Amino acid sequence: MSPELSAVFIGSAIRFATPLLLGATGELVSQRAGVLNMSLEGMMLTGAFAGAVGSWATGNPLIGLALGILAVLPVALLQAFLSITLRANQIVTGIGINILALGGTTLAYRELFGSRSSAAIPGLDKWAPPLLRDIPVVGQMVFEQVWLFYLGLAIIAATAFMMRQTALGLALHAAGASPRAVDKSGLSVNGLRYGAVMFSGVMAAIAGCFISIGDIHTFTEGMTSGSGYLAIAAIIFGNWKLGRMLLACLLFGAATALQFFLPTVGVQVPSALLIMLPYLLALLAVAGVIGRQTAPGHLGEAYQRG
Amino acid sequence: MTNAPSLNFTPARALPVAAVLLAMAVGILLVALTGVPVGEALGAFADGAWGSPYAIGASVNRAVIFALVGTGFVLADRARLTNVGGEGQIAVGAIAATAVSLYGGVQGLPLGLAFVLPLLAGALAGAAWGALPGLLKARAGTNEVISTLMLSFIGVWLLYWSVQSERLLRQPMSNSGTLPESLEIPSTTRLPFFLGDESMPINIGLPLTVLLGLGAAWLLARSLFGLHLRSVGLNALASRQAGMPIARTVVLAMTLAGALGGLAGAIMLQGDQYALKSGFSSGYGFDGLVVGLLARGSLPGVFAGALLFGFLRSGGINMEMAASVPSALVQVVQGMIILAVAGAALWMDRHGAAR
Repeated sequence: MSPELSAVFIGSAIRFATPLLLGATGELVSQRAGVLNMSLEGMMLTGAFAGAVGSWATGNPLIGLALGILAVLPVALLQAFLSITLRANQIVTGIGINILALGGTTLAYRELFGSRSSAAIPGLDKWAPPLLRDIPVVGQMVFEQVWLFYLGLAIIAATAFMMRQTALGLALHAAGASPRAVDKSGLSVNGLRYGAVMFSGVMAAIAGCFISIGDIHTFTEGMTSGSGYLAIAAIIFGNWKLGRMLLACLLFGAATALQFFLPTVGVQVPSALLIMLPYLLALLAVAGVIGRQTAPGHLGEAYQRG
Repeated sequence: MTNAPSLNFTPARALPVAAVLLAMAVGILLVALTGVPVGEALGAFADGAWGSPYAIGASVNRAVIFALVGTGFVLADRARLTNVGGEGQIAVGAIAATAVSLYGGVQGLPLGLAFVLPLLAGALAGAAWGALPGLLKARAGTNEVISTLMLSFIGVWLLYWSVQSERLLRQPMSNSGTLPESLEIPSTTRLPFFLGDESMPINIGLPLTVLLGLGAAWLLARSLFGLHLRSVGLNALASRQAGMPIARTVVLAMTLAGALGGLAGAIMLQGDQYALKSGFSSGYGFDGLVVGLLARGSLPGVFAGALLFGFLRSGGINMEMAASVPSALVQVVQGMIILAVAGAALWMDRHGAAR
């Protein structure tokens, strides 16, 4: 494989991995705090839609991004209210929100765009870091990405620092591992969990906007096509550890890129196998085939005093 | 706590009904907002749902699928196991039924074996797809929600793969326009009609599903296995100390739920679609899960919910075709029903709903 082809492949793997990296980082914080937020897919789709509409209506993709984040906040609040305050089954509320988001965005899209389907929408610019951009071939093929990717890297680094080095991170971990202890220490378990779910909503919105106004510059019905579930698979495969989860996202992004890349270099591999691979790996991981799994102790359980 | 189905009308039982009615009212409001005359849209909905014998047949056949998956969900739920795997179980059931119908040499068999054997193959494949999360749960403590969800995606993509590849189930390519789907299954392997013909295409999946529902009700209320399920669900530790076979109960519950999902896939293929194609199920497994959830442990509730969703889906599809109201509207209504009922679960538990 020539250096150019390799660079193109790595560049597109990063592009496919970006929404996973963003969505999974928010979701990890939520799961660490004890809330299995299954509505990630619906949140990403809502963000992708609102971002596209905002950018299309104003001609300014930045306003689109802001609108995308704003639109997901009520969705995240709904997920938090149902699963934390009303102690509803988190899987069920997640599936409900996903169905609602898919139906709602499809309906609204048909109303707004109608015959102008898949019209091009002003999108976010690309950017490459100084110095790196001057490297021949690689500078352009690999490092020139939508700037949201670099912003995402910064947020991920800040999240990693927050989770590992700060009292807030410790409290969030504890909310999922031993909520009773958190409660006894005087902190609000539900407050921490509300915050974590809202954070996952913001990250999901950015991930969705990356897909619609960052990468593709249009909106299509159900365009997140399972990225939210894939991000959850990456968390499972990454054993709820940030570093391993990020690697899993890159791996899954590479698997997606391979689907498009292999046929162009004349290698025939069933694309279904490549699409299936992440879920298979996550299943093997959760089955304990790849080391011991240590999910947060109280993941998926609502906290009740007394 | 009683598990015998009773028809007492409590506020908690009224709530799912109220949620459904409210969600439908919002749906009608949305129709009005899209600018389509409400009367026209509702007329198209009614035509598609129950306007002709054919429409009724199609709605009932959909309801059968939801009822099977929902029954499986309730069986596993009795042991507090959440089976999110319906979609994958339908997929592998349909793959197995297609393979046996086309290439299993069953088409000339007498006594109805030609369609019974593919049905059994579908149920068996689904059972295996359900048994695996059960085994993982019993052996390694793997969360069954995650494993069944992952297996759902794997099943759906297996189906996609098997209709994309000629070495698997894809029909032979005669020209470049050959669609990525299987051959149509032979007529002897298709399900016979029940009380009718092509004009009202209700197949024998209906009586079969009713029988299985009655069997499941007996199993839950009267059998030793039902007792084990309930006590594992209430308190696994105490059940173990009482000498109950926890692992076997968990595996069996998931296997039965999977078998019902696999059977649903086989019935969809042999009773309705006749050829396997990608996008074969389009979310029927998740709808069945929702039906099981709404029923809150009651099998009569599963059948009521299955009929509701069956007619809702058929009506929604026709509303899109005849009145150009996107069928996504039905998804919005469904999503609201799910969220309302899930959110009210705590309140319903306190007010004595059957569980």
